[in-house]
Amino acid sequence: MNVHNAWLVFKKDWLEIKRNRQVLMPIIIVPLIFSVMFPIIIGIVGNIPDANVGNNQDFNELIPNLPMDIQNMLADMPPNFSIVYIMSVYMFAPIFLIIPIMASSVIGSDSFAGERERKTIEALLATPISDSELLLGKVLVCFLPAMAVTFAAYGVYMLMIDVMTFGMFGMLLLPNITWLIIMFGVTPVIALCGIGLTIMVSSKVKGFKEAQQISIVLVLPVIGLMLAQILGLIFLGPLMLIILIGIFATIDIAIYYLSIKMFQREEILAKQ
Amino acid sequence: MIETVNLSRKYGQLTAVDDVTFKIGKGEVFGFLGPNGAGKTTTIRMLACLISPTHGTATVAGYNIQKNPIQVRQSVGILTENPSLYENLTAYENMDFFAQAYGIADPADRQKRIQELLEFFNLWDRRNDKAGTFSKGMKQKLAIIRATVHKPSVLFLDEPTAGLDPESAKEIRDLMAQLSKHEKCTILLSTHHLEDAEKLCNRVLLMNKGRCLLIGKPDELREQIVTHPIIQIDLTQITNKILQALNNSSHVQEINTKPQETSLMISVKDIRMATPEIVKTIVEADGQILGVNTFRASLEDAYLKLIKGETETQ
Ligand SMILES: Nc1ncnc2c1ncn2[C@@H]1O[C@H](COP(=O)(O)OP(=O)(O)OP(=O)(O)O)[C@@H](O)[C@H]1O
Ligand SMILES: [Mg+2]
Repeated sequence: MNVHNAWLVFKKDWLEIKRNRQVLMPIIIVPLIFSVMFPIIIGIVGNIPDANVGNNQDFNELIPNLPMDIQNMLADMPPNFSIVYIMSVYMFAPIFLIIPIMASSVIGSDSFAGERERKTIEALLATPISDSELLLGKVLVCFLPAMAVTFAAYGVYMLMIDVMTFGMFGMLLLPNITWLIIMFGVTPVIALCGIGLTIMVSSKVKGFKEAQQISIVLVLPVIGLMLAQILGLIFLGPLMLIILIGIFATIDIAIYYLSIKMFQREEILAKQ
Repeated sequence: MIETVNLSRKYGQLTAVDDVTFKIGKGEVFGFLGPNGAGKTTTIRMLACLISPTHGTATVAGYNIQKNPIQVRQSVGILTENPSLYENLTAYENMDFFAQAYGIADPADRQKRIQELLEFFNLWDRRNDKAGTFSKGMKQKLAIIRATVHKPSVLFLDEPTAGLDPESAKEIRDLMAQLSKHEKCTILLSTHHLEDAEKLCNRVLLMNKGRCLLIGKPDELREQIVTHPIIQIDLTQITNKILQALNNSSHVQEINTKPQETSLMISVKDIRMATPEIVKTIVEADGQILGVNTFRASLEDAYLKLIKGETETQ
């Protein structure tokens, strides 16, 4: 394994992706919407003093799951404060996990299925670059940009939330330990999972459109997580997150072996 | 330089390449001829280590395709059936990527080599244009450059002139001829254009339905298959007297007349000997000759005859 070759493949793919609007648009726009729209929503909700939503009903199930000191703090505050707090810190956190999945599946579909569809793969496979170098290069080109846009989205979101809420709470709400675990622990394992599944889907379908459409179902579990938390079924505290990391890491390893099997010269060309 | 032994490849039930054995010497230009689906691309893909044979083996540039695929890939260049260029990258970026992929690490060497080739193919001025904006012929040239960028000792060219207008095809052909001289590499090309084979190849292999029908020099092939050259004689009128006289001539093998035309197509053994005699015979039989043409059977005739014979026997 020559890392230099993998890096070469990465640079080539990145150059292509940078010039491909179809890939670039979704991976820029979705994070932008998330990181700007959510704080605006929170701002609007927080500015409805004592509104109907202010009676905590929506989060009744969630509040008992919060750590005790937070519950005590919120109990002393006006109801819209606790709504702002819960939305800022808990509600939107899992939704951000859609970004690494979406970005890695959009890039991955283009890099794997797209390269086959455009028939450029044959010349690439004719080079002395080995299967594993190719695979690593292509995984990197999905992983690094996906992580970059996700971190950018986290950054913008946290900054906006802190600016908006510092006056209310007198402290910086984010990042807290939950967010740090999500950013540095959950995000990468979920991104890898998305990449692995995209590679597997890409090797089964004809074109990158199809691969993208199928891969996008990966966001469903994330939406499930968010709903489960709102309904109080789970609480994404540090312990739960570490369990999640363990689960995804295990899936990653399984997918890793499967995709190495699927990503073989022979298979790729025979598919045409 | 290239040697195959019983090379075969199956796709499920279909045998795409069936027991093909041949040897290509260093510096030779070797042609694969055959109709669509003959197995040319499949053979080339196996030799370039893109797919593996289901049976048999081969060595390319001294390496076994099954045991040392990386070394084989390192020493061959391939023009794939599709140009396989990154359309969103410029011509230069495409070449730069492949040059690095083939291990030319030094940027100065790379730049020099790419410039040399792009200039050779008259594409240097367009180096900063995206490959997607190139015409078919330009893409083909660029793909040939890609194949040769690392100075491979063996070059595989899968239908280098396919889909090009006659002028561009000739240009590519000339460039390939120069390339084989200039770069001194062994070239294996597949083609439907018999002109390519006749003008470029030292030897050709005729294949159909995965099987190798014949291997030989283009001239030999032609002579082996089509035995008799043809003399065409245009007359003012074809009379029985002429035909009778010709039938009695020992030089004449076969006479064909085209309906509604006053031309005779006479196949003979030896054009030099027969032509004056036949003309004399016709004149003596009071024939009035308008013109005389001689034809040597082209490789195309040989090719069509062989492929046709092959399908009929099945
Ligand atoms: N990936 C594949 N899967 C199944 N069958 C294949 C595959 N590739 C080639 N074949 C079959 O193998 C046979 C030989 O194909 P090949 O592409 O080698 O022919 P060819 O001589 O290059 O033809 P052409 O002149 O049209 O390019 C064909 O019948 C083709 O259908
Ligand atoms: Mg072919």
